Amino acid sequence: MVSSQRPRRSMSRVLLLRIAVVLAFVTLAGQLWRLQIVQGDTFRWRANNNRFRVLPEPAARGVIYDRQGSILARNLPRYQVVIVPEDLPEEEVEQARVLRRLIRLLETPSPTSAGANGHSPVPATGRSPSLEETLPVTETTAASPAPSGASIAPAFPSLEELQAQISEAARESVFRPLLVSDNIPRDAALLIQEESGNLPGIQVQVQPRREYPSGALTAAIVGYTGPIPRESVDVYVEQGYAQTDEIGLVGLEATFEDVLRGEAGYRAIVVDVYGREVRGIGSPQSPVPGHNLVLTIDLELQRAVEEALRNGLQAAYRRAGVAIAMDPRNGAVLALVTLPSYDNNLFAQGISAKAYAELTEDLDYPLVNHAISGIYPPGSVFKIIPAAAALEEEVITPRTLLGDSERLDGANDGVIWLPNKYFPWDRRQDQPFYCWVHKLGYGHGRINVVTALAVSCDVFFYQLSGGHVRFEGLGLETLDQYAQLFGLGQLTGIDLPAENPGLVPDAKWKRQVYGQSWVTGDTYNIAIGQGFVLVTPLQMLNATVAVANGGYLYRPRLVYRTTDANGEVLQNFAPELIRELPIAREHLEVVRQGMYEAVNWEHGTAANAALPNVTVAGKTGTAEFFIDRNQDGWPDRDAEGNLPTHAWFTAFAPYEDPEIALVILIEGGGEGSKAALPVAVEILQAYFAPEEPLEFTETAGQPIEPTEPMDGVDDGQ
Amino acid sequence: MGWTMVSRRWRDFDYVLLVVTLFLIAIGVVMIYSATVNAPELEELTRRQLIYAVVGLGLMGLTAVIDYRLLSSLGLVLYCITLGMLGVVFIVGQVLVGAQRWINLGLSIQPSELAKLLTIIVLAKFLSDHEEDIGRWRYVLMALAILIPPVVLIYLQPHLSSAIVLTAVGAVMIFVGGIRWLHVTMIGLAGAAAAPVLWFSLKGYMQKRVLIFINPQGDPAASYNIEQALTSIGSGGWLGKGFLHGSQSQLGFLRVRHADFIFSVIAEEFGLVGSLLLLLLLFIMLWRLLRIAEMARDDFGRLIVVGMATLIFVQSVINIGMNVHLLPVTGIPLPFVSHGGSSLVTLLLGLGLAQSVAMRHRKIEF
Repeated sequence: MVSSQRPRRSMSRVLLLRIAVVLAFVTLAGQLWRLQIVQGDTFRWRANNNRFRVLPEPAARGVIYDRQGSILARNLPRYQVVIVPEDLPEEEVEQARVLRRLIRLLETPSPTSAGANGHSPVPATGRSPSLEETLPVTETTAASPAPSGASIAPAFPSLEELQAQISEAARESVFRPLLVSDNIPRDAALLIQEESGNLPGIQVQVQPRREYPSGALTAAIVGYTGPIPRESVDVYVEQGYAQTDEIGLVGLEATFEDVLRGEAGYRAIVVDVYGREVRGIGSPQSPVPGHNLVLTIDLELQRAVEEALRNGLQAAYRRAGVAIAMDPRNGAVLALVTLPSYDNNLFAQGISAKAYAELTEDLDYPLVNHAISGIYPPGSVFKIIPAAAALEEEVITPRTLLGDSERLDGANDGVIWLPNKYFPWDRRQDQPFYCWVHKLGYGHGRINVVTALAVSCDVFFYQLSGGHVRFEGLGLETLDQYAQLFGLGQLTGIDLPAENPGLVPDAKWKRQVYGQSWVTGDTYNIAIGQGFVLVTPLQMLNATVAVANGGYLYRPRLVYRTTDANGEVLQNFAPELIRELPIAREHLEVVRQGMYEAVNWEHGTAANAALPNVTVAGKTGTAEFFIDRNQDGWPDRDAEGNLPTHAWFTAFAPYEDPEIALVILIEGGGEGSKAALPVAVEILQAYFAPEEPLEFTETAGQPIEPTEPMDGVDDGQ
Repeated sequence: MGWTMVSRRWRDFDYVLLVVTLFLIAIGVVMIYSATVNAPELEELTRRQLIYAVVGLGLMGLTAVIDYRLLSSLGLVLYCITLGMLGVVFIVGQVLVGAQRWINLGLSIQPSELAKLLTIIVLAKFLSDHEEDIGRWRYVLMALAILIPPVVLIYLQPHLSSAIVLTAVGAVMIFVGGIRWLHVTMIGLAGAAAAPVLWFSLKGYMQKRVLIFINPQGDPAASYNIEQALTSIGSGGWLGKGFLHGSQSQLGFLRVRHADFIFSVIAEEFGLVGSLLLLLLLFIMLWRLLRIAEMARDDFGRLIVVGMATLIFVQSVINIGMNVHLLPVTGIPLPFVSHGGSSLVTLLLGLGLAQSVAMRHRKIEF
């Protein structure tokens, strides 16, 4: 029945099946060889990449203290709300209830979050906020700093946005906490924690954040931290930062970033597919906290200086000014105030867009440190430099008499006449140069250099610098050379970013910028700190200090020393000499005498600065400047046709052995003797009357080694 | 007469096949344990697989004892049961992962698994009854007419891969049953012509799977499973990471690791040596089955065993091929190893039939 052909055909077809099986299995084996042996390393790397994670453990940033141990910058807990989608109620209505409750808790306004440091954004003087700076000589040429890393705090999301965020995050992993609100007030954090039984899936995390107890008072010095600016993330990541790290962006926080930062630790762990930690591997590397900075700043003095400057500004109806105090024995900055200021806590917490706009649009530039970034004509406080130069160059002796007189041009009226360069014979083309005293109707007469400094005689310094008639003056080149020796036209090297070098102009500069040649009149102007010369207040103070201490130009210091987390001293910063001025001590002594007489002679311009318990020396300055706030194309003038003036005052005390030197600048404040001088007096009164407590001072939360007051004994000179 | 005959029969029982079967099942149970030890919600699976194995082996023994030829008279009945069972799924079936594949009878069972075995028997019956006519076009079409209804019902569940497997099994059976090469070519051409129609009738997720297979970078989220399976296998190296030490499987990066991707767990924890050993076991099983097919006393037995061998072969190749990224991701389990009661019990029933064929291959009975 069964034909023999059929089974044979089936048999051969079963054989084909066997061949197919062999081929298929050989193919599979070959692919296994390829995956497991040939590409094994790649896949092993991938598998390890799946399971190993390195968790950074951020290091505590160093604390910043003043010289007495008061805290200027510290770390506070920063509360974040996170949602773990897995732990949220599954029922939709219930979940919405939890989220709504969370939003209500977060929206409750907290009394602490309101703007603590409320200085009005409206200019106190009420002048029109039109644009300025059409002329090269301006108040402040530094641009307001870029909003680099100023993190703008977002408003809290609505329920719908929150739900969208959660479902988005849950797609990734339901176990990974989702950050929904950062930097919430402590009260809100505590409320949420209290209600945690009622809010499944909601957690409060604590991260460190920076706090500045002295806020606006020291903002210009301390600066602030913030997220790494987006454009430089790569650079920082290369240096071992995490993308979410905060860095010092401004002030000492920025300059001493490497010291304050510390070293982040890390922990290697094995995670599962949901990112949950399964176990740790190896020994974790614990973080090394950053080093602390102890500043040369004395917070009590800083407070007194700020108050004095505030009073001075108020009296002059101005908002912008600078006051710096320095120890002339070593260049340590004791106080540095620039007004208006800003609350650096706002930046550390993530500033609101509105508050940030208010700060950047303010024409008095609160975000700019006017003490180091603002450049101004110095006015008469500059005269110490031509005086010292002329003595050293033997252009004059202390007994040389210069100045206006009837014999010179027929009247001792505080005016001298400079012959026209091209028509020197034509008296009618002579150019008049006025002494400030001219408006009182007389001149200072022929006087010596000490008296000239005391009365701030402009005519004396015109002649001294530019020469007049048969008297050969210093000349521009020598004057410039000395200005530079005193540190003008160059950075002082203070530990703060964004310093401006100012300007010491020469003939070449004028030709390049204005296309005109230098004339004697330009030298006259520079001699009295007008014209093209521009300085920062700190430069002017440094130059004054070099006179006060007999010729030592120091690099201004803000940091006294660094300590480790236990308060052990790591590094003392010795005073750093920029140069010893090549000027004989007796010559500088003459300049010092001039500053002494200015205060202590009844006819001196700074006679009001004389104090009963300490001998003060000083120099006033009233510097005209050009500004065109009303934008009519011409420099603004007052009703009598005078240009506005910056009020300057430099001083040091005690005269015999100076331990404090000051510079005061009231922008647009009028006369130095009226607007700036009282500020210095108030500061010196506070400084030399330490037995009366100045004010309540905050004590350090964490005791540090008692710091012996710094004095000149320890300096290297 | 009885005892002598029974003992003669047992002499022809394929013990090599039995040992290989037991090894594969043991590997499956142990690897399911490894795959689920860190997943508390899957803890039950190992014990359940063990129970399925015991039940399945019991049924296998029972089937081996019974003469498979008794089934030849039940062809029509079995066919009705097959279609009825698949039909019931549409009425009372449970929808799991977007498809109606399961019937809940205390425990969920997947009728499509049993339907494969029953279709093999029915087709074997038809082909053996008409072995002399199969060279004729009409009978080829009749054979296809038997095959197509269960295939379509499974496809509509939808369970594309099972439908493909059953089609392949049926095709091989018709091929071994004696179809002419001319007809093979014609069917092949017709299939190629129908391919575009089939493509557009595929459900979106099925098209997507095929597309991801062709271009895994196309959809990062969906290619995750392939990616992780490859990483698991590749990182196993020569000897693997050791039992219970596969990081990919133990930390959950590898998905569906107790079922579709269990081969990846084996390859990760036991390396190339382990995975080749598994291939070798499957190979021996197929070799033994084809040996039984060759010595079967009749076409009915031969075709049943060829069907079973093809079923095991196609499923193994599709599953392992998917794991090693030679074939698209589909829901085909690895025979005897992947977790799943319906599949295991059905396969063991089929092996029981094959053993029955082996035990009765001698025509002369004393």
